Amino acid sequence: MALQILNAGPPPEDVAEQIRAAIAGKLPEAAIEVRPQGPGHFEITVTDVAFDGLNRVKQQQLVYGAITELMAGQNPAVHAIDRLECLVP
Amino acid sequence: MSLDESVRQEITNTLESNEVVLFMKGNRRSPQCGFSATVVGILDSMLGDYHTVDVLSEPEVRDGIKTFSSWPTIPQLYVKGEFVGGCDIIQEMMGSGELYETLGLEPVEVVQPNIIVTESAAGALTQAAAEHGGGGRELHLSVDAAFQSNLSIAPRTPADIEAIVSGNNAELTLLLDPMSASRADGITIDVADTPNGQAFQVDNPNAPRVQQMSVGDLKAAIDAGNPMEILDVRTPEERAIAAIPGAALLNEGEAARIEAMPRDTKLVLHCHHGGRSQQAAEQFVSLGFTQVFNVVGGIDAWSQEIDPDVPRY
Repeated sequence: MALQILNAGPPPEDVAEQIRAAIAGKLPEAAIEVRPQGPGHFEITVTDVAFDGLNRVKQQQLVYGAITELMAGQNPAVHAIDRLECLVP
Repeated sequence: MSLDESVRQEITNTLESNEVVLFMKGNRRSPQCGFSATVVGILDSMLGDYHTVDVLSEPEVRDGIKTFSSWPTIPQLYVKGEFVGGCDIIQEMMGSGELYETLGLEPVEVVQPNIIVTESAAGALTQAAAEHGGGGRELHLSVDAAFQSNLSIAPRTPADIEAIVSGNNAELTLLLDPMSASRADGITIDVADTPNGQAFQVDNPNAPRVQQMSVGDLKAAIDAGNPMEILDVRTPEERAIAAIPGAALLNEGEAARIEAMPRDTKLVLHCHHGGRSQQAAEQFVSLGFTQVFNVVGGIDAWSQEIDPDVPRY
């Protein structure tokens, strides 16, 4: 049986950049901050006028929808978003 | 990741044919993750019946639902086809009272339940609150849809209702969510000795109990065509000797069919003399069924009083 190596995978800073780019692709006007918390774990703060008038679920869906690919599959680069903050400027 | 068209169709069909759908790990009876269990606990306290999909047994749905909803975690709650949220959001909506409206439930009338806490129970509760409370954490009593009670120490939420506590001299604050409060008037909380030491004992006069039905009333209900499920809890061997017309053998498949029915479905259970069916009836009450009847005297009484052609044994 193969041992799972928890720290394997791309450096968190690279993944953070992928997350940032993916969100920027969907929300071009947004100010995006991605903070690595440990292997596969991240905190995200997004500030965008697009959030105006949306409830919290709808706001977060916009962000999660952008990064679904990074979180899918057996051993995704992004294991969990520990905290997601959506702010209106 | 693109969503496979057949998976999208499957999810859409599920959402179209069920008003409330919870995508979760495990099932309602045995959730396989803490977040799923939390949401099941909340929904159980509010709804008798809702649909669950176990993503652990359907890997393509497990990934597909995340793409479908643009939401990365399980559990996920849908109401009338609309994504409502995951565990955190549902807990928040429960606390604020918003969830009742989302689920299409009548806003729960805010009633302060009267709750009797005996002197000894008050002492133990005060001690527990002092040890584990503080920082906004207070004593809560919850009563779920199956009328199971649970005492806990948790943060106060805006929707919480304070009980009118009597029966002791302590200054005790006891909080309930609105749904629990509507089921809690008249509860007595006492401390009882059990084989495992002392435990709180909650007696709730509102809890549904198994009601008794005579064979005469059963005959009248059948003749009147009243909608009900008549369930025979005997063995297939006994059933081969004698059976009440319209009664279904309560085997595993039948039990699963009944358990998926609305909780206000009228269930009438019978056996040979009324003992086994009483026990089975209590099981259904504990599952949250509110209209559960036991046929007094069982099929033996039926043979003697209603239909002598049904053999006695």
